[in-house]
Amino acid sequence: MSVLRRDVLAELGSRSDADAGTWASVEVVADSLALGEQTVRDHLAGLESCELARTAPDGTARITVTGEELLALDIDEMMIVDSKTTDRGCAGGADL
Amino acid sequence: MSERNTNEPVGAPETVQYDPESSRYDVFECPDCDNVVLALGRDDPPMSCHEEPMRRVTNCDIAVKPPDVRQVLLDAFGLPKAGLDICLCVIGEGPLSANEVAEALGYDRSTVTRYLNKLVDIGLLRRAELNREEGGVVNVYHSVDLERMRRETLIGFYIWAGEAAALIEEANLTKQDYMAENPDQELPDVFWESFPDD
Repeated sequence: MSVLRRDVLAELGSRSDADAGTWASVEVVADSLALGEQTVRDHLAGLESCELARTAPDGTARITVTGEELLALDIDEMMIVDSKTTDRGCAGGADL
Repeated sequence: MSERNTNEPVGAPETVQYDPESSRYDVFECPDCDNVVLALGRDDPPMSCHEEPMRRVTNCDIAVKPPDVRQVLLDAFGLPKAGLDICLCVIGEGPLSANEVAEALGYDRSTVTRYLNKLVDIGLLRRAELNREEGGVVNVYHSVDLERMRRETLIGFYIWAGEAAALIEEANLTKQDYMAENPDQELPDVFWESFPDD
């Protein structure tokens, strides 16, 4: 079974904490998902571009507040994160 | 030599013939009134009118152009191909950033944002706001449940088809009324004037 980006986010969410500032080792996340570290790093890069995770040069990563809120939505379907909007209440984004 | 419509898919048939044996859909008519119904995925027995079973239409002489799904989605829902691409390309693959979607499809980022919101307006996507650590929010777009999407698009299309059928019926009645009232005048002008442009 292929591991999706959301699976990496969920695993990271279980091993790190945005509020407490707890970081998780990429190696541990990779081992727990039975994935190569580079595959996890690739997924983490994608999650970082969505502002759902943060990575550090020391090989650790953590979920962000945004990532935790996304997991709390418990959505299985398609998700696109559009981070261009910065002000609450401006749902249409700056392009509209 | 006839000119070819460049919007038509290559190799597409010029007309489509109603085939009641195809089981893709059924058209029924009432033998006693003008009631005509389209049934998709119906169960037996067929529907009734005037307390009698409606009769399956087995022949239709008028030539019908085969629909193109892109044009149907555009006409019925105002959804161009770009919107459908965005809806389809990431099912099961998320979360993706809007930039990634734009790069994968070759659209501008602004186009992706515009159609994401269009899809929300149509009802095929939902939007949620999530807090950012630096302040402000990000928008998350996710699909409605697939069964709900199937129902909404099918019923939505039936509503559109019903509106179109009502226009055709109105045109037929207008023509009948006009010919009865103005037998010596030109029909085309009065006919189109009865359907003013928006």
